Amino acid sequence: MESINLNGQPLIKLKHISRVYQVGVEQVFALRDISLEIFPNEYVAIMGPSGSGKSTLMNIIGCLDTPTGGEYILKGINVSEMNDNELAEIRNKEIGFVFQMFNLLPRSNALKNVELPLVYAGIAKSKRIEIAKEALADVGLGDRMTHKPNELSGGQRQRVAIARALVTKPSLILADEPTGNLDSKSGEDIMKLFHQLWKNGNTIVLVTHEAEIARNAHRIIRLRDGLIEKEELNPNPYNYDKATDVKVSG
Amino acid sequence: MLKFLAEFAESFRISIESLRANKLRAFLATLGVVIGISFVVLMGWALSGLDNALQESINLIGEDMIYVDKWDWSGGKRWKEVRNRKEITLEQAKELIENITTAVVAVPVAVTWRGEIKYGNDNYQGLSIVGTSADFGILPAGDVTNGRFFSKFEETTTANVAVLGYKVAETIFGDSDPVGNFIKIKGRKFEVIGVVKKQGTMLMDFIDNRVYVPIGNFMSLFGGEHLRSTSIGIKAGSIERLDEVREEARGLMRTIRNLKPWEEDDFSINETKAFEEVVGTLRLYVWGIGLGMTVLSFIVGIIGIMNIMYVSVAERTKEIGIRKSIGAKNRSILFQFIIEAAMLCSVGALTSLFLCSILVFVVANILPKLIPETAFLRPFIPADFIVIASVVAIIVGILAGLLPALRAARVDPIESLRYE
Repeated sequence: MESINLNGQPLIKLKHISRVYQVGVEQVFALRDISLEIFPNEYVAIMGPSGSGKSTLMNIIGCLDTPTGGEYILKGINVSEMNDNELAEIRNKEIGFVFQMFNLLPRSNALKNVELPLVYAGIAKSKRIEIAKEALADVGLGDRMTHKPNELSGGQRQRVAIARALVTKPSLILADEPTGNLDSKSGEDIMKLFHQLWKNGNTIVLVTHEAEIARNAHRIIRLRDGLIEKEELNPNPYNYDKATDVKVSG
Repeated sequence: MLKFLAEFAESFRISIESLRANKLRAFLATLGVVIGISFVVLMGWALSGLDNALQESINLIGEDMIYVDKWDWSGGKRWKEVRNRKEITLEQAKELIENITTAVVAVPVAVTWRGEIKYGNDNYQGLSIVGTSADFGILPAGDVTNGRFFSKFEETTTANVAVLGYKVAETIFGDSDPVGNFIKIKGRKFEVIGVVKKQGTMLMDFIDNRVYVPIGNFMSLFGGEHLRSTSIGIKAGSIERLDEVREEARGLMRTIRNLKPWEEDDFSINETKAFEEVVGTLRLYVWGIGLGMTVLSFIVGIIGIMNIMYVSVAERTKEIGIRKSIGAKNRSILFQFIIEAAMLCSVGALTSLFLCSILVFVVANILPKLIPETAFLRPFIPADFIVIASVVAIIVGILAGLLPALRAARVDPIESLRYE
């Protein structure tokens, strides 16, 4: 994994971010005033009940949306004023999404799904296949490359999604309820995998409403009504190294 | 550039995948395009056949030939006026032939349409008997494959010799050589001395169904009854000399026919241009009908494909969201759907070209056996129309795909990721 050196600067810097939606004549504040810094190789959980604004915050951090107020600095670049195309490029290069619903392309096999971000990055085909194969092998799916999503279990699908998130070597992995659609065993496997990714030097932001899942992170940010309610360090993140070795079952 | 190619290849792959996933739908959507392309291709085929026939006819008659005749080939003149013209007699024809100085050669052509010949005990009807001079053998229409044309000597001595048109020879003698055999015309015995090579085309199909005899013999056989006036074929030698020859022939003919300066010509000077005019009108009809049908079916085709593309965009909203979340730009999505629509149309075009090729091959091989006049049809689609059809299909696809693709490109990634 490429190490990100920002000379002590935060990877993500949110300055008084707000996001207002116009619903008819009414203004709805999804985010009121959020300031937040996340440093390279941090493992952060964003928690909050539904309606707290955590999805909106995730969308802004993931460059799917832009704030209506405030500044968002990603890797020293102000992305809050970028247009659609520039944001698409940032998402492609800097962000790796992992969704609750996996969001794989149903008609494409695992390898094609993992290749896709590299297509939009303009990487040559042979190189793409090489990188994608490697990423799939890394998540323990080296023998499932030609399977389509509906031929894979939930846990396997999520691992394909993680491999896809990793292929462009993004600065940030953004996971939205990654275990929300999995049974507890598969969910645990996925969380182990995230732990491993963090150990490999990745920066992870986990959006969840489950305290059990958030316990994996080293810092927990709680949102309520579009504001940061509480921000706390987790002194005892769940340590899979202590429990058992990271072993990914197929 | 590499990026663009990678995206293009990806779009291509996606569109094939999505076509495969919805075969029936794709088929129905492209029906309009298939029909449209078929019209273009079949129109092209018919036109090329027509041009083919025209060229053959022109070659047969000779582009440097003019025919002085009572009748007008192009049919442009008022029919009634033409019908009331006095016949051109053999004497008038001979006078013109003797006096014309600019022509390479000039021949009289007298025809009886209700000819009948006898070979052995069999009667053959429905052919025309032509009286002409030995010089007819110089003309392309008098080109002999087998034996020879009759000579000047045979002409002046009114020898009982006949040259058969290709079809006449084939009908009576089949594969065996007619030369040296005897046929009977109105009870008079004629020796067959040659066969004119096959010349029939759609426009000139009657020409193989002729029997040529010296003009003197013709007159003694049919002089009393033959209804049609004599015409004079004049060979100018080159297209450049046509004007000069035409003017001389016209002047001579006016004198021969005793026309006053203010009177209109009571004869026509026909050239191959007349055929071009006839074919030109025919072409216009084919184009008009074909173009109308083509435009109509393309409009239907565009609407069909546009609809399917809108459905496809709606169905794949989630996919668009996923693609955008991992870095697809609006442009990439736009391309993807335009390429898909173009692919859809190209598949339609290929289907149509395939079906038309079979149709054309079968028709061109079978129809002429039933209707010999259709022999001008060729068993393949002209290459330029294949190119036109393909280009048109892609343009139609792009047009049909543009609006749905714009809608797809504008899909909001957040909304669409939530979409189930």
